Amino acid sequence: MAKHYSSFERGNWRWFLQRITAIFLIGALAFHFVTLHFINHAADISFLGTQARMSEIGYFSLMVTFLVAGAFHGVNGVYNGLVNAGLEGRQKQIVGTILIIATLLLIGQGLRVAVAMTTLF
Amino acid sequence: MAQSYDRGAVESFGRWREFQAGMWAWILHKLTGWILVGYLFTHIAVLSTAVGVDPGAAATEVDTYTQTLQGLEGLLIVRFLEIGLLTVAVFHILNGIRLLFVDLGLGLDVQDASFYASLILTALITLSSLPTFLGGAL
Amino acid sequence: MSTQLEQETEIEEEPTESRESVAERLSEKRREQIQEDLDTAEKTIQLKVFRYDPEIEGKMEPRFDSFTVPFHKGMTVLDALIYARDRYDSSLTFRHSCRQAVCGSDALFVNGQQRLGCKTQLGDLEHPIRIEPLPHQDVVKDLVVDMQHFYDQMEAVEPYFDPDELPEGELEEQRQTPENREKVKLSTRCIWCGACMSSCNIAAGDNEYLGPAAINKAYRFAMDEREGTDRKKERLRIVEQEHGVWRCQTQFSCTEVCPKDIPLTEHIQALKRESIKNNLKFW
Repeated sequence: MAKHYSSFERGNWRWFLQRITAIFLIGALAFHFVTLHFINHAADISFLGTQARMSEIGYFSLMVTFLVAGAFHGVNGVYNGLVNAGLEGRQKQIVGTILIIATLLLIGQGLRVAVAMTTLF
Repeated sequence: MAQSYDRGAVESFGRWREFQAGMWAWILHKLTGWILVGYLFTHIAVLSTAVGVDPGAAATEVDTYTQTLQGLEGLLIVRFLEIGLLTVAVFHILNGIRLLFVDLGLGLDVQDASFYASLILTALITLSSLPTFLGGAL
Repeated sequence: MSTQLEQETEIEEEPTESRESVAERLSEKRREQIQEDLDTAEKTIQLKVFRYDPEIEGKMEPRFDSFTVPFHKGMTVLDALIYARDRYDSSLTFRHSCRQAVCGSDALFVNGQQRLGCKTQLGDLEHPIRIEPLPHQDVVKDLVVDMQHFYDQMEAVEPYFDPDELPEGELEEQRQTPENREKVKLSTRCIWCGACMSSCNIAAGDNEYLGPAAINKAYRFAMDEREGTDRKKERLRIVEQEHGVWRCQTQFSCTEVCPKDIPLTEHIQALKRESIKNNLKFW
């Protein structure tokens, strides 16, 4: 029952951010598919090709933003799905913590990979 | 009343034949979302072969990264999985656009038609991409 | 109350024979009457009705009873149930009152969808017609469900008009602009039947979710310009809690089943946007 009032801190900033990342991801994911399957065929991918692309600052920053936005959007979606399926209380806290750690690891490893692919640094 | 009878989830997935468009859209959006986030983790894992690549090997395309990726691409099953991934991604994008419109309060009375449209468009895009995705593997 | 209940129990315990066929226990006279009704009707229709009564031995196990009823044009599901109760089995229990889709008593699960019994034409349905109590609510008896939780959620959004200032003069009207009236018009149609809540997949999983009807009620008052801005903020705070509007997954189930054609999903979405706007406005 509605006794417990909440503020923007709880619940709806994630709802809002899910929509904002969605708008970005629509473009980024479509671009990613077109670049790496239609313009450059996936079978012809080589390290030098990847390095050439990732050494352009625009492409590099797009991919890094893509990673962060995708990780948030995906993991937040999974979390929402679990909460809607009835996850609550202590279990919800534990799952939430695990998901945050997994996201940070994913972004961390993603950044390592991105840095390894570029000659920018 | 002394007791009452809890029929449990009487209207849950056992009643899938009675689900309407909006419900199917939700189920498929969840499912494709789970697949995409699962793929994101796998994708970063595979790309991790780029860490510590030997520049000399890379010049002749015999480094781990190039060989891992080209090796995977050489497998027919991987090509088919990629087509699956494309289908999943395209549907998630198209239905996602539909949901954004719903969030903006636009076109709520055509929400079922727009779901069917995203299904059909997904099928068309997937079919027209088949040659590109299977090129060189068959 | 308790003595009354015991009395009822005693009366209903009388028929103790097997419940395989309802018609078998009827008197000769009643059977002839039904036969005559069926013979003179243009068509007959079979109902399969959910039965359950925790207080009577032999009825505690839920089951379906079949009733064959005479059909005539314009007949509703409620008419058919009333026929079955009056002619076959007087213990068949369901809620109904106005018979014209206003009181909101007879929301039922008919052929796999939440519908208002008095508003659903038998002729539009596939046969046999399967009638069950609303899903996701506990069944009290036969087609009667416990609506308490639904009413609690409705109360939680403080569903009453609460303006800052009253017009001068006690008998003066509280005027509303036609545009504003138009905005809340559909949301005022709610008859508290509970069909939407029963159809909602999220409400089924999350008992604390306010549900479509309560959120629609909140919309009706939050969007009413005659209430003050502070009151509106309070109303938004109720619906933007964790188990409020954000839980809605826009499956449109509630909108599909609403017997009063209230665009429930649209109203929930409007409140989401209103809440975000309200929270982004930090100046």
